[in-house]
Amino acid sequence: MSTIDLTPASYEAGASTPTQGSAARRVLGMARANAVLLVRNRMTFVYAVVMPLVPLALLLAGPRGESGAGISALTNVLMLAAIFPVYYNLLSLTVTRRDELVLKRLRTGEATDREILGSMALPGVVVLLAVVAISVPVAVALGQPLPANGVLLALAAVLVAVAFAALAFWTAAWTKNAEAAQLTSMPVILVAVVGSLVAILPDRARSVLEWTPGAALDALVRLGWFGQDTEGSAVSFADSFTTAAQPLATLVVWAVGAAWLAARAMRWEPRG
Amino acid sequence: MTTTQHTRTAAAGTGTGTAISVRGLRRTYGKGAGAFEAVRGVDLDVPTGTVTALLGTNGAGKTSTLEVVEGLGRASGGTVQVLGLDPIADRAEVRRRTGVLLQSSGFSGDLTVAETARLWHATLSTPRPVDEALAMLDLGARAGVKVSALSGGERRRLDLACTLMGRPELVFLDEPTTGLDPESRREVWRLVRGLRAAGATVLLTTHYLEEAETLADRLEIMHGGRIVRSGTAGEIADGHPSTIAFDRLERALPQQLAGGVVDPASYGQPRTVVETVDLQATLTALLDWARDEKVRLEGLDARSASLEQVFLAIADSSTDDRRDAPTAPATPNGA
Repeated sequence: MSTIDLTPASYEAGASTPTQGSAARRVLGMARANAVLLVRNRMTFVYAVVMPLVPLALLLAGPRGESGAGISALTNVLMLAAIFPVYYNLLSLTVTRRDELVLKRLRTGEATDREILGSMALPGVVVLLAVVAISVPVAVALGQPLPANGVLLALAAVLVAVAFAALAFWTAAWTKNAEAAQLTSMPVILVAVVGSLVAILPDRARSVLEWTPGAALDALVRLGWFGQDTEGSAVSFADSFTTAAQPLATLVVWAVGAAWLAARAMRWEPRG
Repeated sequence: MTTTQHTRTAAAGTGTGTAISVRGLRRTYGKGAGAFEAVRGVDLDVPTGTVTALLGTNGAGKTSTLEVVEGLGRASGGTVQVLGLDPIADRAEVRRRTGVLLQSSGFSGDLTVAETARLWHATLSTPRPVDEALAMLDLGARAGVKVSALSGGERRRLDLACTLMGRPELVFLDEPTTGLDPESRREVWRLVRGLRAAGATVLLTTHYLEEAETLADRLEIMHGGRIVRSGTAGEIADGHPSTIAFDRLERALPQQLAGGVVDPASYGQPRTVVETVDLQATLTALLDWARDEKVRLEGLDARSASLEQVFLAIADSSTDDRRDAPTAPATPNGA
């Protein structure tokens, strides 16, 4: 190790050293490591990759191509993809890496806070989008229709990913360690799931629950995939956008609110 | 520090000779009654191309000071300029040109050494190749090993490889050799000397006086959140008395020992300690007396004032206006 040149980069003649720093390169480089970690740990892998695919099996139940089963299965696919690869995976990743002092170490480098957070969320978000993409041919093969409005579905997937990523960072802020995440994740998961029960609840509860991410996803799957509103009436492609305004707004409110909470509460070092 | 050092010179912070310039730095943790001021008015200049060591007991404020200079923590008062820039407002440029080694390493145990290095490589603007960075710290053969399987010393070396991967012109090393075996420690010392020879600036903290004396051009001794002594090791030891020690004699010493005085603390102890500002004169007087009186001075030991003596004297001194210093806090990373 005696022949190492320790000359600082900026001191070199002509300072011709190519600068290869870019936000995309930093985020992808860090995200790659996070993806390796996600795949390497069997528990994490099962939760983040296998779990969201399970509801597709519901398409096999009941009469082939029945739309009620389709709506329920595909809503669950999206919901579980938001809860496991995005929310729970990101929550435990954030807590673990915070406690390992990895976040603190990364912050001493060139990557910005947003890049570090983005790189952690990216693998889970990619899994969610991939799961949604995979579910299209699988559903069609099992007798379900092609999505009626792909744009709405894509919007729903992206918004729900952002909202649950932000919720994960916020939850991490008050989660003591990786084990505690099993408990601290419950409130968010409960709120997420309860919305999909909206159809079987009395009117008053319904009007509140319509503003939960679960209800919004349910509505968007009905509109975007099956071209029908929550009452089951057919909605034309053009009308589906206006009908989707309320559930889309719900997801936007959750995404913005969660991001605001996360930004205020974010912790980069282990809790006391 | 003298008052003239408080005056900002033209060179300070413009990048023409001062890599780091800190004035009146304060850092308080918590609020209200529970507030604790870890840094209480630090002035510090680190000339470009030099090695400066921040010395101090646990809780002296070294890491708290360093974190502000690194841009990781915010000051509650004072100004900090790094390479003539503000470490928080000009973060992107400062980070591109600096390398940081934190007191505790932060890695994912499930990634291999090479994966960790690649991750770090991706975040840098002007990185040296991963293989080169690993070879630099003798980690080439460990590239495929998971970080969780590394020894403490290897992990520290991986951390250093990351710190130096971006070929920084200013390097912060917070206790770089704590926990390293003697051989690894010497490797790190060689790297620090190599950095200095290549024109880089190094600011390091250490518990090891030997390390500070060997590596640093300038020492800054912190105690109770302030810098209480600065200069070269020689300058710091200057003015502190030298000592002569020997096993207690059964007879009285002469009155005149060329300015040497028996340390009252050694009365009745098995070893008699004589303090003097002129070691040679006092030692000559003592030896002449011993020869004339045919006295044998068993276990004779004479030493110039050392950094260690000054340091221990500072560490022992109480800081009257601090409630909880100088004892170390319970946390392992000593604020």
